[in-house]
Amino acid sequence: MSGTHPFRDRTAIAGIGRTDYSKNSGVSTLTLALRAIRAALDDAGLATSDVDGVACHRVGDSVQATIVAQSLGIKDVRFHLDLFGGGSQSAWTVGLAAQAVAAGVADCIVCWRSINARSGFRMGGTGRAAPDSIEFQYQSPYWFATPPQQFAMYGRAYMDKYGVTSEDLGRVAISQREFATLNPRAMMQAPLSMDDYLESRMIVEPFRLFDCCLETDAAVAVVITSTERARTLRQRPVLVSSAACGGGHTLYSNGREDLSTSGAAQLAPRLFDAAEMSPSDIDVAELYDAFTPLVLLQLEDYGFAAKGEGAALVAAGSTSLGGSLPVNTHGGHLSEGYVHGLNHLAEAVDQLRGDAGPRQTVGAEVALVTGQPGYVAGTSSALILRADK
Amino acid sequence: MNIKRPIPITDLDSVDWWSAVSRHEFVCARCSDCNVWRWPARAICGACGSMTWEWQELTGNGTIASWIVNRHGFGGAFPLPSTVVLVRLAEQDDLLLPGGWAGSADGVDLSVGLSVVVGFEDIESETGDSDHAVLSWGPRHG
Repeated sequence: MSGTHPFRDRTAIAGIGRTDYSKNSGVSTLTLALRAIRAALDDAGLATSDVDGVACHRVGDSVQATIVAQSLGIKDVRFHLDLFGGGSQSAWTVGLAAQAVAAGVADCIVCWRSINARSGFRMGGTGRAAPDSIEFQYQSPYWFATPPQQFAMYGRAYMDKYGVTSEDLGRVAISQREFATLNPRAMMQAPLSMDDYLESRMIVEPFRLFDCCLETDAAVAVVITSTERARTLRQRPVLVSSAACGGGHTLYSNGREDLSTSGAAQLAPRLFDAAEMSPSDIDVAELYDAFTPLVLLQLEDYGFAAKGEGAALVAAGSTSLGGSLPVNTHGGHLSEGYVHGLNHLAEAVDQLRGDAGPRQTVGAEVALVTGQPGYVAGTSSALILRADK
Repeated sequence: MNIKRPIPITDLDSVDWWSAVSRHEFVCARCSDCNVWRWPARAICGACGSMTWEWQELTGNGTIASWIVNRHGFGGAFPLPSTVVLVRLAEQDDLLLPGGWAGSADGVDLSVGLSVVVGFEDIESETGDSDHAVLSWGPRHG
């Protein structure tokens, strides 16, 4: 390590806000975004007039950032970002906003994700156009179009290489459901048994229903400002210790030979180095979980387990409530709801503030929050956050 | 219900590749300077940066890298069951192409590493023309 990284702990998350989670919000993605932002500003003790930057990621399924800025009454937008991409970009939206604050470009940036992912634009198929990706034309003629299919293609290769079983995937879903039963916000509250998991219907082999995330109408927002300013506000600041993106090759572009690792393995060393931390410093991990095997993959690629050993870590209970590394303590996309990575960030903030109630990780000081690990966009992103001393 | 395959939506970088497939020719872009294959076609070599390249014929041989079996119709969009394979081409380990499977619809005859050979399936457009084709892989014997 060569001294303090210039970005480390300079910025903070000063507030978080969520809308209700539902299958039919009945309102626009603009209204959802504004509700979540209003809640995040209230949480921080800030006014709309304090906001001078806006940032979101989207895939043509949500309101533009500048429209949100206009709606908030921001007359002079000092930072705006409309990052194209799915969940792989979720941590990078926030990372770029934090870097902009650290660089003095803006003072107070709201970041959000707003989607009517069940009633409007369903990732699972209906109501959407083809993704803006040159690779899609090589998939769609084979009825190979939706995220469950694309991740099943990766998932089988990963399972085959390391002997991962359906029961291994089931344990991920069950562990996260146990957390969800302690989370009043979670869409899925009923306990899940291994029999329930194994008897759930096949969606696309090797994935069963409970390997797949939910589709949710919701928005989640966070407020990024300088650490100094955050310390004057209402909540205990959660510091952004590091942010990184990495990787780049998708399943289908020239350059990826091994389908069992991800861009997360490439960005992880940079992420930990910039925070001056190692995987053993992480107290709680909110890992992007569009589908169950992504949790196992990331446990390995972020250095918590050797390749092929992620399933053993889950089977040992390490990632469950009371384990050494609780993972997806809100229930994740599998059981809390699907807000494209931003609900993972909000949960990490709750954990680091000590506000997570019965699902609180005792003594949590440092959290890892990840974006989807690089399928199908290629790149991935992640944040290390820590509670202010 | 007979669900027609979607017609490929080509772009200016890919239209020649799809035209070749419609003639049952299997080609790939290859750098004229460093001979690295690249997929999908694009104007620059990611290995050496050269802008000089040409279409070259492939052997059509590969191995199964992975596959999926559709069991849910996603709103009636897919026939069930139907299998999609991901094939690693013999020419280069990082060339991975999705395609149809000419074998069992439920993929019971597939395994990772299985040797396969390319084939083609003609598809009809809405107007009844059959000037499009897609890849249809099958087992390679011997």
